[in-house]
Amino acid sequence: MLKNWDINLRQSEKKTLLSFFILYLFFTTLLLLFMAIFYYNTQKDLMLKDKRVGLSKYANDEIKRLKYLHVNFDRVPRIYPRDKRFKSAIYDSVYTKIFSLLDSSDVDLNEDIYLKDGSIYYIKELESYYLGTKYVVIEVKDDGIWLKRVYKNLAIYGGGILAVLLLMGYFLLYLLLRPMREAIELLDRFIKDTTHELNTPVSTILSNIELSSKEQIDEKLQKRLNRIKIGARTISNLYQDLVFLTLSQKIESKKQNEDIAELLQERLEYFSLSIESKKITLKSKLSKGISLHVDKKKLTKLIDNLISNAIKYNKINGTIDVVLAEKYFYIKDSGRGIEKDKLDLIFKRYERADRSVGGFGIGLSIVSKIAQEEGLRVEIDSVFKKYTTVKVSW
Amino acid sequence: MRFFILCLLLVLNLSASVYQKNCLSCHNKLPIKIDKFFYRYLLKYSSAIETKYAMKLYLQNPKKENSILNPALLNRFGVKKKTTLSEKDLKKAIDEYWDKYKIFGKLK
Repeated sequence: MLKNWDINLRQSEKKTLLSFFILYLFFTTLLLLFMAIFYYNTQKDLMLKDKRVGLSKYANDEIKRLKYLHVNFDRVPRIYPRDKRFKSAIYDSVYTKIFSLLDSSDVDLNEDIYLKDGSIYYIKELESYYLGTKYVVIEVKDDGIWLKRVYKNLAIYGGGILAVLLLMGYFLLYLLLRPMREAIELLDRFIKDTTHELNTPVSTILSNIELSSKEQIDEKLQKRLNRIKIGARTISNLYQDLVFLTLSQKIESKKQNEDIAELLQERLEYFSLSIESKKITLKSKLSKGISLHVDKKKLTKLIDNLISNAIKYNKINGTIDVVLAEKYFYIKDSGRGIEKDKLDLIFKRYERADRSVGGFGIGLSIVSKIAQEEGLRVEIDSVFKKYTTVKVSW
Repeated sequence: MRFFILCLLLVLNLSASVYQKNCLSCHNKLPIKIDKFFYRYLLKYSSAIETKYAMKLYLQNPKKENSILNPALLNRFGVKKKTTLSEKDLKKAIDEYWDKYKIFGKLK
């Protein structure tokens, strides 16, 4: 019956793993980005190095024409020398523009050669300042062939490296998960075995108590039997909770119309011994004729958990109010209450707001799960050290 | 009539700039035109500020070492005499000289 348990990672563990994976992906991408920038710059420098020789020749041609114009400035038309192969500009020693045919007005004269906005700029410094020119700037359009090659290589090799790194990340994650998975598997197996072993002895104890109660026994012995009965029922509830948690997905839901008042009354009677043992005053106000289309077993589990909590966390001589109305029922205790900052956490599995009493912290997790499955809404209102009200509405 | 011509010459002389009176008057008598000196300065000093500074330095303290003439021309014409112009007039003369022959705005 309890074979094939699923090993599920907890939400927080999934979050941790996801954070690890995102962080790994981020640093991997960052590393690749740096590599890509380095590769791009290297290729750009290589391209500029190749172009430099040709541009230097263009600059020399332009300087020869400037020299001619300088020498014959008063004899020839004062037309700046133009060339179809490139655009040029001349600047004096304090970077003042003497004449320019360039597309860009912003030129960095401290550079030797550079690429900007799809154009290559080559700057040559003159030894003799013809027409006052210290810097000749040559501008040519970049054909972009090298850039296409860079993008292609980046896509192929970058993509390949990213794939390898991601694969490595996956295996790293797998290695990281293995001990955790083993630990969870071990824990689940332990719970499964323990639960399975609990069933038979608890059932035996409970059935024998029921039989003994029918016999003529003295009052003192009856009290002792009652205490044993409360303890055995607590274990029995715990067993059922564990079975529900581990097998809920494998149990088929059987929904039918259930009288809620009847069910609440039945469960209150079931817990009557525990209520009496803590001298708790039970006040119930159950409106008749309210029924819901639900799975009885699941709703019983939900109610059991709420009543059990109301008893467990109540004080001696406390009160429990159970109210059933048209659209809701609630169970209010006069117990320890829950601190505000812990209210959001109490529906989590193994989370316990109060550790002063026994329990695994699975009760409200089951309540939340069943409510979700059955389309119910659970709200908790609590004042620390005063009361807790759990309202189930539909 | 003679009086009228004399008056005209006097007016023209009075309206002439420092550059025209103190630079051009002598340079026009030389076989090398004054613009040639400008282009030699430009060839060596490039910018307005450096060219003007070099001219001023030479005119206030003319020496073979700070002349822009080549040795052959220096031997032929020698080093000119130190200027008698005040700092203010010298600046005026150089500024006019620069404005007249500068390259800025003259290329098409």
